[in-house]
Amino acid sequence: MALLEVEHLKKYFPTSRGVVHAVDDVSFSIEKGKTMGLVGESGCGKSTLGRTVIHLLDSTDGVIRFEGEDVTHPDKPTMHKLREQMQIIFQDPYSSLNPRLTIQETIMEPLQLSKRFDKTQLPKEAERLMDLAGIEKRFRNAYPHELDGGRRQRVGIARALALMPKFIVCDEPVSALDVSIQAQILNLLMDLQEEYGLTYIFVTHDLSVVRHISTDICVMYLGQMVETCPTKELFAHPLHPYTKALLSAILTVDIHHKNERILLKGEINSPINPKPGCRFAQRCPYATEECHQPIPLQEVTPGHFVACCHVKDINNL
Amino acid sequence: MKNETTNNELLLSVQDLEVDYSSGGSTVCAVNGVSFDLHQGESLGLVGETGAGKTTIAKSIMQILPDHATKRVAGEIFFKNQDLMQMKEKELQNIRGSQISMVFQDPMTALNPVMTVGEQIAEGIRHHQHLDKAHAKQAAIKMLETVGISRDRIDEYPHQFSGGMKQRVVIAIALACNPELLIADEPTTALDVTIQAQVLDLIKELRRQKGTSLILITHDLGVVADTCDKVAVVYAGEIVEIGSLEEVFDHPSHPYTKGLFGAIPDMYKDVARLSPIDGLPPNPTELPEGCYFADRCPHATEECRARHCQLEHITGTHYVRCLKTEQEG
Ligand SMILES: Nc1ncnc2c1ncn2[C@@H]1O[C@H](COP(=O)(O)OP(=O)(O)OP(=O)(O)O)[C@@H](O)[C@H]1O
Ligand SMILES: Nc1ncnc2c1ncn2[C@@H]1O[C@H](COP(=O)(O)OP(=O)(O)OP(=O)(O)O)[C@@H](O)[C@H]1O
Ligand SMILES: [Mg+2]
Ligand SMILES: [Mg+2]
Repeated sequence: MALLEVEHLKKYFPTSRGVVHAVDDVSFSIEKGKTMGLVGESGCGKSTLGRTVIHLLDSTDGVIRFEGEDVTHPDKPTMHKLREQMQIIFQDPYSSLNPRLTIQETIMEPLQLSKRFDKTQLPKEAERLMDLAGIEKRFRNAYPHELDGGRRQRVGIARALALMPKFIVCDEPVSALDVSIQAQILNLLMDLQEEYGLTYIFVTHDLSVVRHISTDICVMYLGQMVETCPTKELFAHPLHPYTKALLSAILTVDIHHKNERILLKGEINSPINPKPGCRFAQRCPYATEECHQPIPLQEVTPGHFVACCHVKDINNL
Repeated sequence: MKNETTNNELLLSVQDLEVDYSSGGSTVCAVNGVSFDLHQGESLGLVGETGAGKTTIAKSIMQILPDHATKRVAGEIFFKNQDLMQMKEKELQNIRGSQISMVFQDPMTALNPVMTVGEQIAEGIRHHQHLDKAHAKQAAIKMLETVGISRDRIDEYPHQFSGGMKQRVVIAIALACNPELLIADEPTTALDVTIQAQVLDLIKELRRQKGTSLILITHDLGVVADTCDKVAVVYAGEIVEIGSLEEVFDHPSHPYTKGLFGAIPDMYKDVARLSPIDGLPPNPTELPEGCYFADRCPHATEECRARHCQLEHITGTHYVRCLKTEQEG
């Protein structure tokens, strides 16, 4: 069963120059226990999508279903339940922690609010969570500014895990970490998933990470989804021109072989009052007049959806 | 981009840098005797674990360590033959921004929340290029577009930007000053790989045109491979391995460096679990006698735990701090 279903979700922000279409008609669903990797250009709406799905932001339009139930406009008790069952690990470990709380207090805070635990149990539970996230005990009474970036991110993870949620939006949870701790955290997230059947949306710019952790991948461009399919398929057969450009820009540690990068030229698109049609067209090497017509996601090969009117010719399908 | 750097002038020389912080009654030994040279036009990648002291090294060069938390600083930092450690705040202010500029790891601390991004980029440009307000704004728009943000976003505030967009604004501000030394602390961690490539190209362009030197702090070894010609691996506040990109990437020699390469998910291989380096870094308030990595090292012996070893020369410009490598010759 799909744990989370999203249909035609929109999130717009008004600004002085017009309306930013941060998330513009996005639909997807995630099965329980799976990880959906979310990739795309910086500013394309990944964080906004994640935050809107878990109700940190109000949606502008569309439907969100959690465990089959329409939770787009939750009443108070439903909201309370959602707050416990849907969590987020933030991109930015610096600003997401309260500077006036010690590490232990930070981790205890959601436990206190939930009232699920007896007061006397709290320190013990916090200790267990610190252990789970790999934070040494000596940091119990430290404040966030005394920790390095990696440990701060672990605190965010411990906090998100506190109430054993069903669904976690991981918004670049390992970007600030060195590769060894990144490996530990990814292993940890995968272990927790296996043990508790957790479901993740995993936002990252590191394509080797997303390839490792996700079962499926969605590629976004300027507020819209342009390609989605199982992970293996995406890396084997990227079909959308933006996805191809993205994969071509991956940097590897092999200093003797460099990938041939597809350079993106053309005007930078704006998410403010965008014109109808493909939003990548201005920078797309294959664009024609036709691309100014709206183009929905289409199943091009089984399970592989792409929003591009030239997808067949480009890929000789 | 390779440079015949050896012939170029020495721009920066860090000698025996030590920094201690005080934290909750104890002393954190964050940087423990770091030395390196950077020539004009050279680019050095600083890699190493979280908490290794990379940002602290950068802040020491900028002379912006937090007053209240910094307990002790020792060593010398020569920039164009002048010791920054001995310089007055007034002189430092002239150097910061115009000669040395830094892209901070955390963009929010570097941006003013109540000023539009356009004003913030223009301010730097006006200051360093002596343009009037209107021209500075035009230049700011151009800079914003160079980092891939459309011009109609110029009047927005930082909180209206995504993480990576804020990071790009900070980069735009730093690059607008045409510094001689650019210190970039995780400049591309919040960027997707196509925009990352654009930003790295921009930095390369600056190096090519203006001969700017670069210290690039990053966890991403792919970025180092793309952009740097020298690499220093930092562990527990020390350099444990340093050399040219080829020396370190083709022949990683310190067990910690090898561990780092082993922990990266492989783009072309499927594994069920990744292989982090076992164990935890030493507590920086109680550093051990011997090698700081010994507790996590598969090759460690009693001797390693007893004696703290020096950076030893292996070949060319390649130096490693490890008893085992030293003994193997
Ligand atoms: N509060 C806001 N007001 C106005 N615009 C906003 C606001 N929050 C986000 N936006 C805009 O919405 C768009 C999507 O932002 P979002 O943070 O979701 O991007 P992202 O894909 O997470 O990017 P990154 O990879 O850089 O984190 C951007 O154009 C951003 O400027
Ligand atoms: N203001 C401070 N007060 C006390 N300790 C600090 C302070 N700033 C940093 N530290 C400590 O100094 C050490 C080095 O921190 P630094 O931020 O330089 O590491 P880093 O290598 O930049 O790590 P990261 O890769 O996570 O950014 C860490 O142990 C950190 O906890
Ligand atoms: Mg984001
Ligand atoms: Mg740092």
